[in-house]
Amino acid sequence: MALDPVEQAIVAQSLIAAAQEMGVKLIRSAHSPIVREAEDCSAALMSADGDVIAQAELIPMQLGSISHTFRHCAERCPPDSLQPGDFYITNDAYKGGQHIQDIFLFCPIFHEGVRIGFAATVVHHIDLGGGAAGLNPNAPDIHSEGIIFPALKLNRERDWAGGPWEAFVRANVRMPDATLGDIDAQFAANAVGAERLTALADKYGREKLADAMTEMLDYSERRVRNALRDAPDGVYTGQDALDDNGVTQDPVPVKATVTIKGDAMEIDFAGTAPQVATNMNTPFASTVAAAVAAAKSVLTDADIPFNDGCSRAITVKAPEGSILNPRYPAPVRARLLASYRAFNAVMKALSTAAPTRVIATGTDTTTACCLSWLGPNGYDIYLEIFGGGYGAGPENDGADGVDSPLSNCGNIPIEATDMDHVFFRCIDYSYIAGSGGKGRMRGGLGFRKVYEILEDNVTFATYGDRFTQQADGLFGGGQGAPGQNQVLRGEEVINLLSKTSFPLQRGDKLIVQVAAGGGYGDAADRPNARSVRDQEDGLVAAE
Amino acid sequence: MTARAGVEVGGTFTDLVYVKDGVITVAKAPSTPSSPDIGARNALAKGGVDLAGLDELAHGSTVATNAILERKGARVALLVTEGFRDLLLLQRHQRQQIYDLHYEKPVPVVRRRDTVEIIERIGPDGSIACPLDEDAARAAIQELLASREFDAVAICLLNSFANPAHEARLVEILGELAPDMQAAPSYKIAREFREFERASTTTLSAYVQPVVGRYLDRFEASLSEDGFTGAFSVMQSNGGRMPAAAMAENAITALFSGPAAGVVGAVRQAARSGFKNFITLDVGGTSTDVCLAPDGRPALAPMTEIDGLPVKTPVIDMATVGAGGGSLVWADDGGMLRVGPESAGADPGPACYGKGGRAPTITDAHVVRGTMQAAAFLGGEMDLDAAAAAAAFQPLADRFGKTPLEIADAAIQLAESNIARAIQRVSTERGRDPRDYAMVAFGGAGPMHAVRVAEEIGLSAVIIPPFAGVLSALGLLVADYARFAALTDRQPLDAKAADVVRGHMTNLEADIRRHFADHGLAAPSRFQYTLDMRYRGQAFEASVELSADELPGLNQAALEEKFRAAHTQLYAFAKAPGEPAEIVAYRAGGSLPPPAFPESPVTRAEADATAISLYERGGQHTAQMLSRAGLSTDGDAGPLLIDDGLATVYVPPGWTASLDTSGNIVIRKEG
Repeated sequence: MALDPVEQAIVAQSLIAAAQEMGVKLIRSAHSPIVREAEDCSAALMSADGDVIAQAELIPMQLGSISHTFRHCAERCPPDSLQPGDFYITNDAYKGGQHIQDIFLFCPIFHEGVRIGFAATVVHHIDLGGGAAGLNPNAPDIHSEGIIFPALKLNRERDWAGGPWEAFVRANVRMPDATLGDIDAQFAANAVGAERLTALADKYGREKLADAMTEMLDYSERRVRNALRDAPDGVYTGQDALDDNGVTQDPVPVKATVTIKGDAMEIDFAGTAPQVATNMNTPFASTVAAAVAAAKSVLTDADIPFNDGCSRAITVKAPEGSILNPRYPAPVRARLLASYRAFNAVMKALSTAAPTRVIATGTDTTTACCLSWLGPNGYDIYLEIFGGGYGAGPENDGADGVDSPLSNCGNIPIEATDMDHVFFRCIDYSYIAGSGGKGRMRGGLGFRKVYEILEDNVTFATYGDRFTQQADGLFGGGQGAPGQNQVLRGEEVINLLSKTSFPLQRGDKLIVQVAAGGGYGDAADRPNARSVRDQEDGLVAAE
Repeated sequence: MTARAGVEVGGTFTDLVYVKDGVITVAKAPSTPSSPDIGARNALAKGGVDLAGLDELAHGSTVATNAILERKGARVALLVTEGFRDLLLLQRHQRQQIYDLHYEKPVPVVRRRDTVEIIERIGPDGSIACPLDEDAARAAIQELLASREFDAVAICLLNSFANPAHEARLVEILGELAPDMQAAPSYKIAREFREFERASTTTLSAYVQPVVGRYLDRFEASLSEDGFTGAFSVMQSNGGRMPAAAMAENAITALFSGPAAGVVGAVRQAARSGFKNFITLDVGGTSTDVCLAPDGRPALAPMTEIDGLPVKTPVIDMATVGAGGGSLVWADDGGMLRVGPESAGADPGPACYGKGGRAPTITDAHVVRGTMQAAAFLGGEMDLDAAAAAAAFQPLADRFGKTPLEIADAAIQLAESNIARAIQRVSTERGRDPRDYAMVAFGGAGPMHAVRVAEEIGLSAVIIPPFAGVLSALGLLVADYARFAALTDRQPLDAKAADVVRGHMTNLEADIRRHFADHGLAAPSRFQYTLDMRYRGQAFEASVELSADELPGLNQAALEEKFRAAHTQLYAFAKAPGEPAEIVAYRAGGSLPPPAFPESPVTRAEADATAISLYERGGQHTAQMLSRAGLSTDGDAGPLLIDDGLATVYVPPGWTASLDTSGNIVIRKEG
């Protein structure tokens, strides 16, 4: 039964709003700062068969992977076996999940006893056990990264809320109040989705609602296919690389072949380096998210609601055993590094197909900067995430000093670090003049943070990238400056790697400098007003 | 008897509410954006205001807001701690549009070349980690002032909230070097931690100050030329007023004062009908503003932003939805009917205005349906072209195989559904259940949509105050005089905490009392206190409200209980009692209510209903069209169209409207 176009519009926009409201509820009731501040989470409403119909687009890293994860749960325990109160839960990176920290929770929604959909939420949890608190950089395999929930079907009343599974989780994580609290937040957000969906079923009837969901998939598919049809057919390739594999200093190439044919697109990562021994492997779900995020942001209008209809037009493949589709039990915690290179390779491939819609390569790296010190009152740990500079676009300079495209973390105010940590002091937080790749439009600037160490026996731990593999410019634009880590100790200058751990002493100055983005077009064509302004403001190197 | 006037400058119209000897007069005049005071004078003239006999004039304008949006503020330089020249540019590292590859960051009002580093460092506890290098500072400031001309120098040093000594000393040095230069130290404008937000507030404040000051001086001079000797006050974003002279010292609080005044006016007037919790709905031309007012008090947020830049000053907590009367109705390339966020604007405006607009808008949809009667628009002051409105919907009608009437009806349903969804989302975000609220609607189009939106979110009462078209101007006259002060001092929630709270609040209260006295006002009669509290390690705070009665007996246990309740309200959980928590900031607000606004005498007329035909929700209805005064006390059943002068109220079937003794139209769901 076809819906009246008006009812379709109202139901569709209500479903999108409901998914967004789930996201709001999730962020509001989560315990972990990573959810509240970085919005490292997602929420979606799904059809009775498990297609994502509407998703709260909070960070790009969750795009396109939720139903992929769902399929593994549905295979193990068919949806028809679900009763009210049952739910699926999984975090298995080798069963459609991302990394162990991301827990997927699927609650079926019933209307008068009939299943009409699912509410789904994903949250990055602060700790799920494993070999070290929070982050285990030396994990040899996925088991060292935390406990695995292998696509379970459970019942909230029986197993959670005082039940045996809650007790099991509580016993196996380091911060049980936070972890259990965040799972409760997921239940609460799913309940909002259920409330809104059943209200729509009351108002329009189950059949019409199901038809409206089907039409929403078709609608998004139609709009993505319209966009693909406007892009020229062809086979396009792009390549980028990680600096190293975490053990030796050999670059790790990531290669994308993008085929646009008519109204369909295939992204194949054949030719990408094999999986590595460190935690830089990217589970396939993350690869899909990064590839889809790049394709969607380049080719389609921002207002196309993301759902599984979009995915029908875009296929993603990565060779098994590669860093973008590793084999069990490779560790995957630092999945973002290779995800970014997948994003970069797709963007570069699309630069031929859609030269005015792409941007040059940016820093596109998550840099984790961790300082820790065992003081008289126990461990004092500072952890901050840095982005860098965006690649330049055809009409705009790359944004300076912002988080990278696949996530969106804020910085920690200097006054907050001053209050919270007595063993160091940040003495410089500034742009690196001249670091942006030259071009008609210049790349976004990198920045540095300089820490004066005030105590002995401080440990610096970090992972980052683009110390050797700089961000490329586009159409004649120059490369962005590389990143670097240095310790100034008296007269001595100690250069550190991008992924390392290093003991610091009182009086040391630690300089963490992130890379910059590439430029777009020939620098000779740079509009004079922009050059003058940058000169006056000291944002380019003095000439 | 007294004579008082409120003049509110909006984007399109300047509104006046004039009260003399208990008689209320309202007037509207076109706004004059280049010199808003001219429109204001026109409105005063139109309302027959006798300036010489006026005891009080309350004013609201968009001068501060426009100075920032149009980048027409002062030339400002900034002094910062060494190493932090890029404070304003680095911002918070997040992107405000996540998916935009061509993202450009918000642009601060001070350029990098005009930002100078000063050798000094204060510790988080106020200790001097590195003394101020006065010679270097003097040289740097001299070089800066010699390089270019400035109107003001803002100063924001790290940790100055804990110890303002270095900022104060720089003000002195600046005074020696350039006696006429305006100095804006952050500790006087926003004494709270988080350096970027404080610097942003400080520089924006310095940026708008001279513009607002000049405007108010000019306006006041022209008023006094014509004999005005009364009190002249200006509206703030926090919903309270301040004497104009005080505003010239802290102009940043004047941002968004118009919407704030509207909310204050609406809530004050609606409360006379005996309701407690309100959702205000202000539907304008391009957007809809929504505010929750639990217990009759519009909720305050501790900060806002303008043009992407944060401003740390209390504001009435409003959410904006991109749907209004001028919103365009269109179909996207996937074949979905859409409303907004694009708008027809004032020029050409909706097709029915006959100014050349061809694209259909929500206003056109109302004209087509008959829920806006062409003859009655704006009290009959403007002719509407119904044929042009219908013609505008023809292409969409053809595309969807419907009639223009059906598409017009569909577009309004869609807009109302979108507004309802947005209210649900805002309520969820704030931890409130909207079903406990009554809706108060105003603005040009608010009363038209209010009942259907209320129905959609499960409310059972809607209130349409009198003067719905000039509520912001009315809000000016009923708004309290208000002043807020804040400071940051990190204090663990321990046995000493309550004493620390009392100490800080006493000082803040004294500052506020002094401010009132300095500006010739009576002492504030009401104080409210707010603590920003958090669990140790959290990067965000929950606001804990304290009343004046609670302060003397406050102890650790009571503080913890209040914090846990506030945390639960906002974040849906609280940690176990005894978990380490701390107070980060202290805020106090003092307020003084104005003389009571007269009860508007309820005029009742003989039933003046005429039958009209309108189309709504897929059906043609015969409805009664009548005036506010024509409503009965015991209720008239919908469908009704109430011609309320500057606005039209639509009462659908299933709802009943009555005019109560406070002059409000109260619309209730039947059954």
